[in-house]
Formats: sequence, C-alpha cells, structure tokens
Amino acid sequence: MIDGINNLASGAGIGGSPASKPAAPTTGGTNFSDMLSKSIDEVSRLQQDASQAVDNITTGKSEDVDGVMTAVEKSDLAFKTLLAIRAKLMDAYEEIKGMPI
Amino acid sequence: MFERLLNQTNAPVLERMLKFTAARQKLLAENVVNVSTPGYRQKDLSLEKFQGMLRERVEQRDHNGLGSTSFDDLEAQLENPQRGMLFHDGANRSMEQLMTDQAKNALMHNFVIELLRKQFQTMEMALKDRPV
Amino acid sequence: MFDVLDMGASGLTAQRTRLDTIAENLANVYTTHNAKGEKEPFRRRFVVLGPGRAGDPQKSGVHVQKIGLDPSPPIPKYEPGNPDADANGFVNYPNIDMSIEYINALEASRAYEANVTMMEVSKSMINSSLRLIA
Repeated sequence: MIDGINNLASGAGIGGSPASKPAAPTTGGTNFSDMLSKSIDEVSRLQQDASQAVDNITTGKSEDVDGVMTAVEKSDLAFKTLLAIRAKLMDAYEEIKGMPI
Repeated sequence: MFERLLNQTNAPVLERMLKFTAARQKLLAENVVNVSTPGYRQKDLSLEKFQGMLRERVEQRDHNGLGSTSFDDLEAQLENPQRGMLFHDGANRSMEQLMTDQAKNALMHNFVIELLRKQFQTMEMALKDRPV
Repeated sequence: MFDVLDMGASGLTAQRTRLDTIAENLANVYTTHNAKGEKEPFRRRFVVLGPGRAGDPQKSGVHVQKIGLDPSPPIPKYEPGNPDADANGFVNYPNIDMSIEYINALEASRAYEANVTMMEVSKSMINSSLRLIA
C-alpha cells in the first residue's frame, strides 16, 4: 500500500521528484517516511520563505508585492496539499483497520 | 502559552504595522479636514522611520530566535512636515501630497490585513487538521 | 476607531458652512438696505475656521470659530438716478467681489470633495479590518 502511495506521490510531483518519472514500481526507492518528512521540510521551508518576504515588505526592505503574494500562496497551497495527503492516508488506515481478517 | 503560539509567526510585526497605518490615516484625515484652517500645521507619521524601527527589531528577533523580541512598545514619532507651500496665514498645505499619502497608507493597511488573515487561516488549518 | 469618520463629518460641515456664506454674499451683492429697511449696504461675510471639534476642542477635527464681517468700505457707484444715491449721486454697494467669491466657492467645494474621499478611504480601511474576523 505504501509503495502505491509513494508512486502516486512521485507521480504528482510531491517529494521533490519531477512528474516526468513514470509511475513504475519503485522497489528500492525512497521509503514513505523519508518522503513524508521531506515534504514536511519543504512546506516548512516555503513557509519560512513567505514569512521572510512578508517581513521584508513590511519593514520596507523590498517593494515586491507580487513576490510576497506568490510566496504566501505557494506556502499555503503546499500546506493544504500536505493536509490533504495526511487526510487520505488516515482514511486508508481506517479502512484497513476495519477490514475483517 | 497562547501568546507564545502567536509570536512564533510574524503576526506581531503585521499587528504593529496595522496600528501604524490606522494612526496615520487619522492624522492624514485631520490634515485634510483642516485644509482651510488658518495657521494649522500638518501632522504626520513617517512610514520610512517606522519601517526602520521595525527592521531593527526584526533583525534582533532573527538573531535571538522567533518569539524572543516584543514589538509592542514600538511607537512612531509625530512630525510636522514642511511640504507644499507656506501660505500667508502660516498654514502649509499640499492636497495632492495628502491624497497620495492616504492612498498609499490605505493600500498598505489592506495588504497587511490580507497577510494577517492568511496567517490566521494557516494556523486555523493546522489546528483543525483540514483546509478551511 | 470610528472617530475618523466623525472628524471627516466635522470637515464636511465646516466646508458646507463656507459655501453657505459664499452663497449669501453672492445673493446680496446688490443689497443696499439692511433687514430693518434702513439704508446700509450689506457687509461681506466670511467664515473663520479653527482646529478642534465644535463643542470639544480637544477632539481632532475642524469647526467654524466665527462668521466675521469684512470691515473694508463699501464700493461707491455713480448712479444719480437711484433713489439711494447720496448728495453727490453715489450709491454705496456691498464690498463683495464676485470673482473672489467664485474662487472661494471652488476651493470650498474641492475641500468638501477631498473630505468625502478621505472618509470613503477610511471606511474601506475599517471594512477590511472587519474582514479579519469574518
């Protein structure tokens, strides 16, 4: 199951790898927990970038309003994606948990 | 505890800026209202100076870590700018400058509001564990 | 927070009073008698504005301090046929210069507009602040 999600994730371009890679079975690729922590790091980095940009514009260091808006939107979108993935995972987990053995 | 939670972001900086723009809007409106008052001296707050003060604090905060520096005591200094022409009655007025300043001030205010909203929204998302 | 709107309103009132006074001057540009019917030319009125709200000078804003009378002498015109003419045939007309009144009216209405714009902007700022809780 985890491999499946992994493929999905790499296919969707999450985890840094470009979408060009075909969704072949990735035996021996990055494991799920690595991918997850990598994407959390990435979201955190995007949020820090956005926060830096906001600081710069409020303190008058830069005048790049569009840049700030893009950075903020990017971090927002990344965070939402992370939340969506987490929700899906929890759903899958619940489903498996309820499966009669 | 909640104070610390909020200070982890740059919400305090934005809050201060919001206070500044609100105070400046009031002074600019006062200047427009008194445009035909003899001997009236314009009052204003300097955005550049205030941003300078903010920048210092932000650098201090970046050095000591998030949540370490308080922004609550930052106050902009009241000024009497000498712009426009000095009329015979001792009043100095430049309506164009005033209108430009208030437009810029309002834009800054709305911009900061949007950013603050976004920040609160992200925090709410993290708390609720789903997109809002 | 809403004080800024009251302040704008004080500006609107002041400029409106100015315009009213100008209108009165223009209306009486040929008035040679006073209200009691005595021979006395109308005196030009002008508004003196002062900082601070009316009734509460501590509050920021503007108010009409007084409506003053222009002390300059009336303008004599040679009209020997006029029943109001003096022994030399001159009639004393009010000390009102139309062009000055027009210019003042223009300035007052521009200041009025500026106040309205300022209030609109302040309102939009308050509105966007309210969006924070919405």
